Amino acid sequence: MTVEFNLNFLKELEQETVLEVLYRDQMLRKVDEERIRKLKTQLQQLRWKGAKNASHEYQERSCARCQKSLGLVMNRGAVCNGCSHRVCSECRICLNPYLWKCTICYAHGAMKVKTGEWFFEERAKKFPGEGRCETTGAKLLKSYQKLSKISVVPPTPPPFTESTAGKNTTELDQAKTFNKSVENLFLSLATHIRKISKSHDDVTADKSLLTTDYGQDANRRRERRSQSDTAINIASRIQNAPSLQQLIIGTRDNNAIFTKKGCRPGEDLPSSPLSDVVFSGGVKHGSLFSLNSTCTEADNFDKANVTGEIEFALSYIFKTCTLEVCINACKNLFYGEEKKKKCNPYVKTYLLPDKTARSKRKTVVRKGTVDPAFHETLKYKIDYSQLETRQLQISVWHAGVFKNRVFLGEVLIPLSSWNFEDNSMQSYNWYQLKAKSEDNQVQYSGELLVRAKMCLPSQPEKFRYEEHMMEGTEDQAAHGGQLHLVVLEAKNLPVLRSVGSLNSFVKGCLVLPDQRELKQKSPVLRKETCPRWKHLFVFDGVTPSQLQWAYLDLTIWNEASFGLSDRFLGGARLSTKEPISSTASNPQAKVLWQRILSRPNTWMDITLSLQSNKGVFTF
Amino acid sequence: MQSSGLQPDSAVLAWAAQKFIPWSIKISTMTDGDYDYLIKLLALGDSGVGKTTFLYRYTDNKFNPKFITTVGIDFREKRVVYNSRGPNGSSGKAFKVHLQLWDTAGQERFRSLTTAFFRDAMGFLLMFDLTSQQSFLNVRNWMSQLQANAYCENPDIVLIGNKADLSDQREVNERQAKDLADKYGIPYFETSAATGQNVEKSVDTLLDLIMKRMEQCVDKTQVSDTANGGSSGKLESAKPEDRKCAC
Repeated sequence: MTVEFNLNFLKELEQETVLEVLYRDQMLRKVDEERIRKLKTQLQQLRWKGAKNASHEYQERSCARCQKSLGLVMNRGAVCNGCSHRVCSECRICLNPYLWKCTICYAHGAMKVKTGEWFFEERAKKFPGEGRCETTGAKLLKSYQKLSKISVVPPTPPPFTESTAGKNTTELDQAKTFNKSVENLFLSLATHIRKISKSHDDVTADKSLLTTDYGQDANRRRERRSQSDTAINIASRIQNAPSLQQLIIGTRDNNAIFTKKGCRPGEDLPSSPLSDVVFSGGVKHGSLFSLNSTCTEADNFDKANVTGEIEFALSYIFKTCTLEVCINACKNLFYGEEKKKKCNPYVKTYLLPDKTARSKRKTVVRKGTVDPAFHETLKYKIDYSQLETRQLQISVWHAGVFKNRVFLGEVLIPLSSWNFEDNSMQSYNWYQLKAKSEDNQVQYSGELLVRAKMCLPSQPEKFRYEEHMMEGTEDQAAHGGQLHLVVLEAKNLPVLRSVGSLNSFVKGCLVLPDQRELKQKSPVLRKETCPRWKHLFVFDGVTPSQLQWAYLDLTIWNEASFGLSDRFLGGARLSTKEPISSTASNPQAKVLWQRILSRPNTWMDITLSLQSNKGVFTF
Repeated sequence: MQSSGLQPDSAVLAWAAQKFIPWSIKISTMTDGDYDYLIKLLALGDSGVGKTTFLYRYTDNKFNPKFITTVGIDFREKRVVYNSRGPNGSSGKAFKVHLQLWDTAGQERFRSLTTAFFRDAMGFLLMFDLTSQQSFLNVRNWMSQLQANAYCENPDIVLIGNKADLSDQREVNERQAKDLADKYGIPYFETSAATGQNVEKSVDTLLDLIMKRMEQCVDKTQVSDTANGGSSGKLESAKPEDRKCAC
């Protein structure tokens, strides 16, 4: 606990680093603004001094700058190329033998260069929509300060609930576009600041490679050079530890869960960063953890008969967002190698549907026994809200010679039905080992976090929206309601090898019973492997009875460049219908959809597991 | 980010000292607004090519062989005196220039943050590592990033092949790099932050390009072609009161 706190402390410091840079930049800008202001007043004074008053002096032959009268033959002045005023020879500045400017035109040009105005003019040609003089640093700092102010106010509703009264969607959209660029920038800052904290780990982890006294280590240096960014990413991911925010959320969840059972208190966490699932928190706790678990899940293992039982306990530590799987013992296992009466059992767990190494944990191997005692705790760092989409797979294996593994049985625990608040569930229990279940073959491709709400104007809300609702009820009722859905973020998306990062976006397609399709699309979030869109879909003019029989497909895509077709990354369906046969793996979808419909005008946080079978979705 | 761990031997140092000619550079106090131009440059390139170290060499004339990953963004400052040269090579006016040198993280995961800063820079130091073919290959990607995010389609860029001192580990030959630079129509320098070789020269070249562009931006509205040697800030664009004077 203390170790983690120190780490977080460092992370905070690193977050400060970027802010410190931005503040430094702000200071520099302030000095520069002051300089520019002086330049502009100087120019203005110069103008006033020589200003030719058009009203009465215009016909007079005099220099436009110094007011000296000009002769008809001698010293008759000349017209300035820039301002077309006639000026005397003394008020000219020669740039080269063929070109001159009057003093004011010269000063004006000089000012443009000196103030950097030329740059903003040029940039406005390319990016016409953007704030002319505002720099990225200024924007970031502004949005950071704004957001940090917001986060101080305790239970603010999420930004988009401000105008949830149902009738204000146009206003909402406007506000959204207005804030979008700034918000996007902030998002990138926020995500980066979160990532930044990992760079420290990188450095310490690779210290030996990074310092420069190599001596004989030229090869290692070569390695380090060729190490790709993605490799570094993976490395840092493994090093990850829960952030302070995670800890805070964890404790808040802890408190809240008892009051609002079954429903995630997401409404209370406005910009809650819904922290990444971080596995491998338990690496240092004595359990085996290997990265290259290539194919124990594939079919290249031997099957023995399945007998016996396993004793374990499950608990969830809200404070640290940790799922603990305490493996105590097994008994009456079948022999891994029956002829030799040999058995070297060990226990392996996955948090399905994630079958990657990230979700794998193993105990040590006990040699020569069919009644092994393990007394080991395998840990997963995972948000409580994500547990309900997961299934814990606990399997027992025999470690044979030459990596020959024999399957001895497994137990599957759907975590959505597990009551972690009930202490009796946390004690040790014996479970019968079962043979491998072969059904769910749909491949997992990450998770999508959304926040949904059915807006029904006719039904007054309980809380602060009450006054709003009183006004706009009648005319709204005729149009039916609105389904609001905020696409928050996706996690554990498959990373395309060829690209390295994702330019992802979300399509939402609501298919009504009459086969009408309402479609929405989020903006593309570039170069993010864990995209946080925070984008609101509004499906207008739908009634709850329609939605009863409708389904909503949310699909995630990677935008392809050069007109190639976008690549499907994963999808999820919300529906009351019995799931289509091939999408069998999302049994909660029905419950969730029902939950949204039954509680109108309440935000509902939902975690959906994404599936890779593109064919079943509408988009 | 220079990866050389070896201290340059005395001969190299002596050579560097000889080579290092501060032609127009003078450091002054940095907190006041007493300068004529604020020029913002930005260094970009793959992780580990030596951007931070390069800038450190440029601003402080020191070499730090340690690799410290840049956290997102950073910047350094330096004041220099820019001597504009007249058309006939005569030295023109001297201007005080405040340089803000943005340093960016090369790592992919910072990419969206760093590219957001591209739009504020007036010139770019695009760096690769002469001892890493991959970092050179990625120059093309960086160029397209620049085209997408910089303030205009063809901003001023210098291509810099860094770590020239590590000649025994060289993977990119000069011809290759020169050809690529020519293709883009940008200058190319082989530099070493460890020895200081060409560090100033490359930044000065970029500064020169920017100063020229500034002048052109201001005067191109009217002047067709006058041999503009360089004294900056000379010309004037069309002003709103655009009436022809009859007299």
